[in-house]
Amino acid sequence: MKHFWSFLFFLVPVLGVATFVFAPHFNIWLPRDISEQGRTIDNLFMFILYLTGAVFIVTECVLFYFLWKYDGKSNEKPVIFSHGSHALELVWTIIPAVTLLFIAIYQMQAWANDKMDPPAISYTCEVTGRQFNWDFRYPGPDNELYTQDDIVRTDGKLYLPVNEEILLKITSADVLHSFFLPNLRVKQDVVPGMAQKMWFKGKKTGGYDIVCAELCGWGHYKMKGRVYFLPRDEYDAKLAEFTAEQNTMTVEVPEEE
Amino acid sequence: MLSSLIYDYRKFAMSTVTAETHAAHGEHAHTSSFLKTYVFSLDHKIIGLQFLFSTLIWFSVGGLLAMGIRWQLAYPWRAMPLLGNMLAGPEGGQIAPENYTMLVTMHATVMIFFVIIPILAGAFGNFLIPLMIGADDMAVPVLNMLSYWFMWPAFFFIGASFFVEGGAAQAGWTSYPPLSVIQEAAPGSLEGQTLWLLGVTFVGIASMMGSINYMTTIIQMRAPGMTMFRLPMTIWAMFITAILQAFALPVLTAAGFMQLGDRLVGTGFFLPEGAMANNSPMETGGGQPLLWQHLFWFYSHPAVYIMILPAMGMVSDILSTFARKPLFGYKPMVYSISGIAGLGFIVWGHHMFVSGMNPMLGMTFMVSTMMIALPSAIKTFNWLGTLWGGKIQFTTAMLFAISFVSMFIIGGLSGIFMAATPVDIFIHDTYYIVAHFHYVLFCGTAMAVFGGIYYWFPKMFGRMMNDSWGKVHFTLTFVLMNCVFYPMHILGMQGFPRRLADPYHYETFRNLLPLNQFISWAAFLLMASQIIFVINFFWSIFFGPRAGRNPWKANGLEWQAPSPPGHGNFDFQPIIYRGPYEYGSPETDEDYYPQTQPPKQTPESAEGKAPVH
Amino acid sequence: MSDTHHAPQFDYQPALPIPNGKAFMWLFLSTEIMFFAGLIGTYIVLRFGAVAWPSTHDVHLAEIWGATNTFVLICSSVTVVLALEAAKKNNASGAKGWMLLTFLLGLVFLGIKMYEYNAKFSHGIYPQLPHSLIYEKPDVYYAQGVRTKLMKHKAELENKTDKTEEDTQKLGVVDDLLRQVDAAEVALRNEPDSLAGRIKIYELADRIYPRASVHEHRPDASHATHESSPFQLVAAQHESAHNGGHLVGLNDKYPWLELPIMIPGGNMWASTYFLLTGFHALHVVVGLIAFVFLLSMTLDRAAYGTIENVGLYWHFVDLVWIFLFPLLYLF
Ligand code: HEA
Ligand code: HEA
Ligand code: CUA
Ligand SMILES: [Cu+2]
Repeated sequence: MKHFWSFLFFLVPVLGVATFVFAPHFNIWLPRDISEQGRTIDNLFMFILYLTGAVFIVTECVLFYFLWKYDGKSNEKPVIFSHGSHALELVWTIIPAVTLLFIAIYQMQAWANDKMDPPAISYTCEVTGRQFNWDFRYPGPDNELYTQDDIVRTDGKLYLPVNEEILLKITSADVLHSFFLPNLRVKQDVVPGMAQKMWFKGKKTGGYDIVCAELCGWGHYKMKGRVYFLPRDEYDAKLAEFTAEQNTMTVEVPEEE
Repeated sequence: MLSSLIYDYRKFAMSTVTAETHAAHGEHAHTSSFLKTYVFSLDHKIIGLQFLFSTLIWFSVGGLLAMGIRWQLAYPWRAMPLLGNMLAGPEGGQIAPENYTMLVTMHATVMIFFVIIPILAGAFGNFLIPLMIGADDMAVPVLNMLSYWFMWPAFFFIGASFFVEGGAAQAGWTSYPPLSVIQEAAPGSLEGQTLWLLGVTFVGIASMMGSINYMTTIIQMRAPGMTMFRLPMTIWAMFITAILQAFALPVLTAAGFMQLGDRLVGTGFFLPEGAMANNSPMETGGGQPLLWQHLFWFYSHPAVYIMILPAMGMVSDILSTFARKPLFGYKPMVYSISGIAGLGFIVWGHHMFVSGMNPMLGMTFMVSTMMIALPSAIKTFNWLGTLWGGKIQFTTAMLFAISFVSMFIIGGLSGIFMAATPVDIFIHDTYYIVAHFHYVLFCGTAMAVFGGIYYWFPKMFGRMMNDSWGKVHFTLTFVLMNCVFYPMHILGMQGFPRRLADPYHYETFRNLLPLNQFISWAAFLLMASQIIFVINFFWSIFFGPRAGRNPWKANGLEWQAPSPPGHGNFDFQPIIYRGPYEYGSPETDEDYYPQTQPPKQTPESAEGKAPVH
Repeated sequence: MSDTHHAPQFDYQPALPIPNGKAFMWLFLSTEIMFFAGLIGTYIVLRFGAVAWPSTHDVHLAEIWGATNTFVLICSSVTVVLALEAAKKNNASGAKGWMLLTFLLGLVFLGIKMYEYNAKFSHGIYPQLPHSLIYEKPDVYYAQGVRTKLMKHKAELENKTDKTEEDTQKLGVVDDLLRQVDAAEVALRNEPDSLAGRIKIYELADRIYPRASVHEHRPDASHATHESSPFQLVAAQHESAHNGGHLVGLNDKYPWLELPIMIPGGNMWASTYFLLTGFHALHVVVGLIAFVFLLSMTLDRAAYGTIENVGLYWHFVDLVWIFLFPLLYLF
């Protein structure tokens, strides 16, 4: 087939775009977003996707066009003996530079919101990753961690109030893990010896996966948890239930913070 | 052997005293035997081929390990046919969870440290540098030989690590402590991780020797007239790569020693205070796990450019040759390589956006990472410019080079998503990353390596490879690898995490099984289609049609030497008159214009001097 | 690759007006700079990230020996230059003499280093496991460590068939100490948060090894309730076992005891100290090996290039030490 190779390379942009167009129809796409700041991240993702998508389509199509047009078998014209062009170099340095700087600056606010300015509230829960489970410690009725009325749960189920600002303290007891809530677009590595904060707001009730996203040993794959967002009253009831359950046991208080 | 060592040492110490070296040289040549020619050879070409064969064998090992990964992801916990017992150990072919992490770790380790880095610098660098700059050998041949021989302890350690108790390393190729340090934390991996560290250290020492040698050779041993700006892009890339290696690798070596210390001596560089392992407190502490990540990525980010710059250089040469047209924007290409290298040192933090590092740093690393896309953009557009207005010959080598350009765009653009910190919060450690780096590493670098093999094969072995089978190999590889790696972007968008032996018990990822099975089958076929290459390669070494000196009608200096070049490379004193990309020049009637061909009627050429622009 | 083929000697256009060997050496040294930059960077990060860091005094680091070693290395850098000068004048025997002196100075450096290492080892300061005796905090683990060791001594002494008078004396010391440990442990166990238990353990630690920089951390009474650092829990009224400025701990008085010692930040200090000085010493050893090779050659003008390269390397080793000395001994 004439121009077989050029058409082979033309398949790249065609199928490349098609994949992204059809994927949502097979229900493979960004997972359902139930958070507030997740929107920003999704929008940024889509923005970069469109932008790079445009660059992708243009460059791949230019590549195809050149391969097709300047095929040695059919191109009768003599080659263009050119060593380059300063004007062009400038153009294709400056345009991407501006675009990239724009992306960088555009998203700084989102980054700051997600990782730099924690809300000024007390901890909703302390999350501890250990091989291969997530442990949770709620502050209990006095709203303060590391006191006698703390609620400690080791069943990998985290209950949180819906539509409320949530501040988690996350740590690790042994190796690195990563606390990842795909449906809330939040992820933070937990590092032993380091306490970190994580904040978000869930907007839909229901249960969602907690995924460990950092290799933590042979059981990494099964370090699964669930987070449940409950309306405030149900949440309070749940915690009260835990407290009642726990009153038969004593809570160990760590020696020092 | 000893005499050659001494000879070499004297040559090294007194590289200005030529008469004496000359005499010693002859003597050396006379005493050579088979062992000395092919095993303990000091000849850069032989050393290059030794690297080539070793790395190709490791390439198949790394590929087989990848098949193990793919099997588990398509058919979790099902016994793997054919390879099962080999890869999964005694569990009767079923891949155990700790074996899965081992497969992932060793797949990446083999591919990066034993295939891509040594095949680019070790095989192509060794073979091409003296030939392309007009030298008779490397500056210090004996260290060159040692740089290959230092690979063998590394081969041994990594090979042996599969057979020690607990199996090979399981902490990922990034080997993050505390997992990689506390033996109790990864019950599977006992001595495996120690051997891993030793292996990587030896690879490091080998690369160090090589890169200092390359730098010295390129700075000091260019033929008359071969100014820096007449060097082919391959050489420029190798030069900058050597600089990157030289400045980044020692840091990894230092970090590796520290991790060894943590494992063996009981130091606590990377062990935090108060952590537990298997429910008992660790005995040491006060160190910082994140410190390892900084040190590791301070090397390994530059390393990803070590893994692509030489490929970019080779692709530039191949594109220009087969477009029969000068490389578009030679100097911008050189500057952009240097720019990538320079910026490459200040972006390592983009691997640590969600590691717990200070978020302020995240912002600065985001900006520098965005900026590093610029020199890459310049290169991409210049490649397109090179194709513009040419007379493209679709040889196998050219097809691989074009596919490099096409695929690098995909891999590079997906890097932009990750550089965007808020987006990286979501896609970090998902298959989006896996897609990204396979696009740059496999679809990019490995394709350039295939292209380089098809292109320089005639020079290496004096025979041609079969072009038709080459094209079959290309087409299958090109189509299948896209089937393997392109859908991974979509998997990543779903949030599918890396290094997960069985993702399907998460509700969020349950629906990804069919797509994973598709990917896996494409991967199996991809692996199978490499058999065509293997057969073509070995068949052509023995039975391929003989190639003349310059089968591609290329300009490069290496094509003026005999195929394969003899001892000392050139049978004439190379004198260089122009850059390597003067294809279609109006100054000659041919469509190429070798670097050594004197210009027609200029007074300089009559005197045999090299004109300088 | 024919055997008889006489390879042509090519002309080159080197970019640098120096022999290849020297260019090679300079490039090699620049990679070495990065290697030590990695190590020193680690030291800085860990030191400034640490909760506590021992003073030189706590860990038996004597500035005077460090300074002496600095001087020795600087001298050796001079002598190696003199050797080079002699070789330039084709004075082979002179060059050999200077080279021998350089070699000896290198040996002196290593000797002093070994002496210093030994001073650490004899106090149980090792790059941690399995020999290190260092504990970071006066807590239950420390008490347990001391107890374990004491019990071992006790068992050994009691099992001896022919007890000398000395042994009985030793047994007395051990029993006495055990009582102290008991008291401390009881106090700690009964009231985990109480100051009393911690102070008891602290006192014990101070008797065993009175140098620990807890003295600097020792708070006055007003800080006694401050919980953020374990060292600050130690009350001000504590009397340390100083006698006339000489700190004689139990481990010094009875070297056979080899009890665990408490140095806040001590393990991290030991890790980095041995890392930095160890790799430096390794480079010194490599230099000495190179000197041995040089001494076996005729050091005339023909050897100039070789001497120069080795000399460059030696200057580098010297330079690294000039960075390490203030970093480890003075700050
Ligand atoms: C050869 C190897 C190679 C190369 C060349 C690159 C190139 C780039 N990489 Fe990649 N990277 C890896 C190998 C490589 N990477 C590996 C192995 C990992 C994972 C390691 C691990 O965790 O195991 C990784 C991970 C990785 C991360 C971390 C992700 C994470 O873990 O969360 C990031 C984040 O910023 C990143 C970014 C980039 C960028 C911005 C480039 C840029 O250099 C790309 C520049 C190129 C282009 C942009 C395309 C061409 C340009 C144009 C067509 C012009 C127009 C473009 C625009 C205007 C946008 N890479
Ligand atoms: C250069 C690097 C390189 C290459 C080439 C590859 C090639 C492949 N990789 Fe891999 N991969 C990595 C580098 C590479 N990879 C890295 C760095 C990681 C991250 C690890 C980590 O998380 O720690 C990774 C992880 C990784 C994963 C993620 C696992 C996980 O996170 O759970 C997967 C999953 O599908 C995968 C698959 C594949 C496949 C199917 C191939 C196929 O393309 C392989 C096909 C095989 C061949 C093409 C070989 C053919 C052999 C020859 C041609 C030799 C001929 C021989 C002679 C002539 C003698 N790789
Ligand atoms: Cu915990 Cu992965
Ligand atoms: Cu990177």
